[in-house]
Amino acid sequence: MKKIYTSLKTLCVVFALLLWLPAHAQDKTITGTITSADDSLGLPGVNVVEKGTTNGVVTDFDGKYSISVSGDNATLVFTYVGFAMQEVPVNGKTQIDISMAEDATALDEVVLVGYGTQIKRQVTGAVQTIDAQELADIPVSQVTQKLQGKLAGVQINQTTGKPGQGMSVRIRGQLSVSGGSDPLYVVDGFPITGGIGALNPDEIQDISVLKDAASTSLYGSRAANGVVLITTKTGVPGETNISFNTSTGIQQVPQRGRIDMMDAVEFAQFKKEYYTDQGDPVPEIFQDPSQYEGKTNDWYDALLRTAPVQNYNLTITSNKEKLRSSMVAGFFKQDGVVINSDYRRYSLRANMDYLISDKIRIGLNVAPSYIKDNTPRTDGERGTGILFNALHTWPIMPIYKPDGSLTEFNRFPAETGNIFSYANWITSAKQIVNETKDVNLLTNAFLEYEPIEGLIIKTSLNAELYNSRYELFSPTTATSSINVPIPTDSRAVWEDTNDFSWLNENLATYTKSFGDHNFSLLGGFTFQKFRRDFNRVQASNFADDRLPTIQGAANIDRNGTYDRVQEWSLVSFLSRLTYNYKGRYLFTASVRSDGSSRFGSENRWGTFPSVSAGWIISDEGFMESVEPVSLLKIRASYGVTGNNNIGNYTQYALIDNTVNAAFGNDLAPGSAVTSLANPNLGWETTKQFDAGIDVSLFNDRVSFLYDYYTKNTTNLLYNVQVPQESGFSNFSDNIGEIHFWGHEFALNTINTTGKFRWTTNANISFNRNEVVALAEGIDRVYGRFHITKVGEPFGQFYGHLSDGVYLNQQDLDSSPQVPGRSTVGSIKLLDLNGDGIITNGGDDDDRAIMGSPFPDFTYGITNTIKYGNFDFSVIGTGSQGNQLLVRHLYSTANLDGVFNLVNDVKYRFRSVENPGRGFYGTTVGGGNVTGIERDWINDRFIADASYFNIRNITLGYTLDGVDRFFKSARIYGSIQNVYIFTKYWGGPNPEISVQPDGTGDGGNLSQGVDISGYPVPRIFSVGLNLNF
Amino acid sequence: MKNKFLFLLVLGVLTVGCEDELTIFPEDSLSEPTFFKTADDFEQAVNGAYVPLRQINNQAKPYLAEMHSDNTYYARNTAFGATEQQEDIADFAIPSDNGITANNWVGQQYVLDYQIIARANQILATIDDAEFDTSAKNNLKGQALFLRAYAYLELVQFFGSVPLHLVPVAGREDAALPLSSEEEIYVQIIADAGEAAQLLPPKSEQEAGRVTSGAARTVLANAYIVQKNWAGAETQLRAIIDSNEYTLMPIYADAFSGTTDNKNNMESVFEVQYKEGAEGLNGSFLYNFLPRPLTADEVGLITGTSNPQPLNGEGNNIPTPDIIAAYEPGDLRLEASIQYITASESFWRDGVYPIIKKYVEPHALNGNTGMNWPVYRYSEVLLFMAEALEEQGKSGEAATFLNEVRTRAGLGDASGDLLDAIYRERRVELAFENKRWFDLVRTGRAVEVITAYGNRIKATPNEYYYPEGVEPRANAFSNISLRYALPAAESSLNPNF
Repeated sequence: MKKIYTSLKTLCVVFALLLWLPAHAQDKTITGTITSADDSLGLPGVNVVEKGTTNGVVTDFDGKYSISVSGDNATLVFTYVGFAMQEVPVNGKTQIDISMAEDATALDEVVLVGYGTQIKRQVTGAVQTIDAQELADIPVSQVTQKLQGKLAGVQINQTTGKPGQGMSVRIRGQLSVSGGSDPLYVVDGFPITGGIGALNPDEIQDISVLKDAASTSLYGSRAANGVVLITTKTGVPGETNISFNTSTGIQQVPQRGRIDMMDAVEFAQFKKEYYTDQGDPVPEIFQDPSQYEGKTNDWYDALLRTAPVQNYNLTITSNKEKLRSSMVAGFFKQDGVVINSDYRRYSLRANMDYLISDKIRIGLNVAPSYIKDNTPRTDGERGTGILFNALHTWPIMPIYKPDGSLTEFNRFPAETGNIFSYANWITSAKQIVNETKDVNLLTNAFLEYEPIEGLIIKTSLNAELYNSRYELFSPTTATSSINVPIPTDSRAVWEDTNDFSWLNENLATYTKSFGDHNFSLLGGFTFQKFRRDFNRVQASNFADDRLPTIQGAANIDRNGTYDRVQEWSLVSFLSRLTYNYKGRYLFTASVRSDGSSRFGSENRWGTFPSVSAGWIISDEGFMESVEPVSLLKIRASYGVTGNNNIGNYTQYALIDNTVNAAFGNDLAPGSAVTSLANPNLGWETTKQFDAGIDVSLFNDRVSFLYDYYTKNTTNLLYNVQVPQESGFSNFSDNIGEIHFWGHEFALNTINTTGKFRWTTNANISFNRNEVVALAEGIDRVYGRFHITKVGEPFGQFYGHLSDGVYLNQQDLDSSPQVPGRSTVGSIKLLDLNGDGIITNGGDDDDRAIMGSPFPDFTYGITNTIKYGNFDFSVIGTGSQGNQLLVRHLYSTANLDGVFNLVNDVKYRFRSVENPGRGFYGTTVGGGNVTGIERDWINDRFIADASYFNIRNITLGYTLDGVDRFFKSARIYGSIQNVYIFTKYWGGPNPEISVQPDGTGDGGNLSQGVDISGYPVPRIFSVGLNLNF
Repeated sequence: MKNKFLFLLVLGVLTVGCEDELTIFPEDSLSEPTFFKTADDFEQAVNGAYVPLRQINNQAKPYLAEMHSDNTYYARNTAFGATEQQEDIADFAIPSDNGITANNWVGQQYVLDYQIIARANQILATIDDAEFDTSAKNNLKGQALFLRAYAYLELVQFFGSVPLHLVPVAGREDAALPLSSEEEIYVQIIADAGEAAQLLPPKSEQEAGRVTSGAARTVLANAYIVQKNWAGAETQLRAIIDSNEYTLMPIYADAFSGTTDNKNNMESVFEVQYKEGAEGLNGSFLYNFLPRPLTADEVGLITGTSNPQPLNGEGNNIPTPDIIAAYEPGDLRLEASIQYITASESFWRDGVYPIIKKYVEPHALNGNTGMNWPVYRYSEVLLFMAEALEEQGKSGEAATFLNEVRTRAGLGDASGDLLDAIYRERRVELAFENKRWFDLVRTGRAVEVITAYGNRIKATPNEYYYPEGVEPRANAFSNISLRYALPAAESSLNPNF
């Protein structure tokens, strides 16, 4: 129990130290020992404060303390996270020993908020905190993976299983048309410019997620997507702790959930029927499908393997007298479940702070990390991602030659309908180098000075250095494209990225109480600057596959070789007033003003105010009689935040000076204006109202939280499409409005106490949005498969609705058709515009909204049981009502017999007498007929992707009788991604969303497209925690 | 106290410095306020305005102006789908709804022409205020005017009424204009081409490959001819002929550029310039005009590259039996224009197809050619002249220009109706040079010729490269209209259509 609160306890100390004041006349010393009522052992780290002052000390390792107080009338207040607070009047005593009892809800927990901390009970915004301890056993590389299912109102999806990548985090459904939607990550007060994928989760002490505008508005023009505050580890007061955590596991891709493709016999049978139905002679290789019995080449399966994952972390913390320090060394090694993919992270963090004098404290955090990541080009469209390629490669094409070696490439004669040649994808996975090496250095330094009582001035300098080297090398013997015979041209890409970001923050906080009126005032200004130098070289035709050097290349590809510089700067002023009366009526107001280089010259500064208020009803006299209620708080907030993710130079009309011409045989340098200027360009504005209620009942056995929010995002940053008669395709502008609203519920219960302790944490979130307006004269924006339209939710799947196939000639004659293309047995699309024919393209064609990538609700539930030395937890997460667009069907259900097919194509329409199941249409008529079904996006591509995933099960055992060597030792076993309950049939990952080029998630306008991606593995692992 | 002062000082300095710190111009790109000042800037901008022509002539225009006629067709590959975009053009079956179509190539042609126009407008809006040498300025301004006129001439011939942009678009408000009538567009073309003809130097004084006063006069004459202003055309054409800047190449096959040699030769009035190599200035239209599938070896036989790659999909712009039959016996141009190749994996007959020979030139690397695209050749100036004269009843002089062209082709003087003879001559002399569809439309023969052609294809599909037993699509030749429908993507953004 104690350990669980370790980190929060430390935060309390931080808070106490922030209020640390110069000694004044003190004439009486009190000593004593604090023990736990539970086991009568000394409690280290208890705060002992003289009531009404900021004079306080902390108990030592044995629970002893010594404090000078102002006199006999003083009262000592003892607080300790997780234990009930006690007040003891001095009354002439010189020794006060007390026994503290556990208090399940730990009411005086301190939580991290923007630019400071606050007592949790007094928070008036929507803030959720997670103690990293409860995430410790999950054997994954990224902290966001560990947070899945833990946070109300935060949807976290793993969009691809590539090691170290692919997490999409959306707070309160926030999204934008083209601005980024990732939350702002703030590590130890520093808004970092990259993601947090590189951060070793073991360095984290706790996480605060700020959701409403009152909590986030101090981050101004970057706050609209929500803010995630991360604190890294500091020591437990008075102690030196050494802990070593390790886990090792194996990962595999479950059979269930894989796409059901045809085996060799089924495929040959399909081809045979294809030619028969067409009235053509059946090519010899398909005449007897049974010859392929037991001879299926499962290309997809051949790319997968069972792979190990290992994690080692050594943490040393020391917190003694004036110096507080911690060090975390981590090594994470994950081999991927796709062959030749691996991910390594070496990380180190050293945090220290030192009290120079009673008024000055300095601190320094340094956190270098090195990540090496090699992943074959697994994700992406046909001809880009090898998993997609493998999926649709003919199962009769041999992976191996008779001698056991890999085939080079496969192509059957044209009369078999094999129009593309296929490289050996196993070779592609093994030989293509696709490697990234990242060096990351995050540093924070601060100086804190307290010139007069209650006033703390803090100045900090933070820097983030990021250096990344990407290398792609595709030798002559491998390719990830289709229809490229081997040997082919070798080619390479090198990319170097060098980022440097620094931030200077200067803050002053003044805290003062007048009677029952408690004030805290924050003021400050900050300056942040970012620069990225990027260069890319693309080359081809190397003299030797073994020497992929630039000088070894016959061609440097000019179009793919370039430099880029990206810079931005941000100057901000911020202030906040926190006031409460009797600790019961709570009020906070804040304002931030941001000037950004990204905004147009006519619109350079933005102001982001917020107000919030709360009332702790349960502290009122009239509530004292209502025994079961230990906390009843209502709160409300309103504020304005911004999103400045618009790219750095979008306001300018840029000249592209690579628009070169030729005259004769000479190159003539050319230039063209490639974008339109907008001096009025600015940030996206989100105005959010939040109302919430916090309830704790039955001595905190049950606590409940509810939040309602409504927010409107206006001035959406968007490259508004303009008619290209202008010479341009778009214009960066602030347009439109989206309304978001939602409900969040969280329920924590302690079901049983004592030796068998069972707790349940559950949350459920309902997020909704609707497009209120787009640009003037524009009521819709098309994505590739999506539409964003006024009056509808954002980014909906858009295409044709179908009603089976034309069953017979009469059906065909009496139904609207695609002129010249529809036949008996072809897909029957609905004539939605009522013009008697089916058309595809333009605003007035026959397409409609077919589905939505947004869930009706998402939920998570964690059960934790402790029994004696055993601990057991189960985490489940779910999503209901969302859909995916199964994009790979345009190949894997291509009725022309060009690719391998999903098994359900067996049940296609074959004749009027044998109409199949009405899903897939006739193969007769070639692309002119079958092309409609696969090229005109329609509702056959849409699949329900609701799921419930038993995300993690962990069983741990804490060893007895190890005290001689360790303070504690625990072993555990865990299973990650235990089982997914879902009806989704398009692939193994119902959270998938991948862009056609295989990078990133689909982005805001094109979410939820399954083009087959790296599968998310199931992981069986065992682990060990040792504390010395 | 000292610390506090220092603190305030830092605060003050940072605040004052804010606006400067917040103004960051991109380091890797020039931006508009600093550009369009010097002669060099304008030369670069003019060069940039030529660039879209490369893409236009590599694919879109040959499909829309040549394959959309009885000169070429596609070679149906039944193993391959997703070919409707091209087939719809060749089959006169472009789905269109209220004058709007989603066809890719139609959209691409439109967008690229307007890209030229926008770039020219940007130059023309600022060049008069820039201070540099007058003759250099006139030359650059003339090129910009030429390019704008030429782009509008393509647009008006393909689409009819289109928006008329003459000044740079500044923002969203002025991006969409209403459609201007064909007459208004032609007035602008004639004004721009006329001014360009005055500003531009003759070919002998111009850098090879850039447009000249002769090229501007040809565009002007072309516009007059479409408008049936025969006298206007005659004036311009006579000026070109009398300039002595041009002459026919003695051998027809030599009129067309090689991958590096014979570019902008003495017959060339205006060529779209391509350059072989890794700079991205190359063409690949030869490859787009080959039947498929072709094995790597078969491709290598045609292109002579060191790294031939197989071709798949469906081949476009394949000469029809009609065009082959249009050559008179003894016409030397037949052999110079068409050759036969073998596609052994084809399902059509023995896989021996005719292809366009004009653009077959050996080059180094697969898919990367430097052959220029002939837009205007002197022989067309002569045929334009013959037509303009004949239309004015000056048959005698008309015949001399016509026969000059015929003589080089190894043919005797024309016989029969002279106007018909001129039309026939244009068809074979300028075959595969994106002239046929425009000629059919402007001479009022399009519907009649294409209807008959469509009937022939439907009656004998196997003659038109359909494998045995494969029929043309049901909607083939169902939509023979004289103008292309406007692009759907533009329609959804422009409230005027």
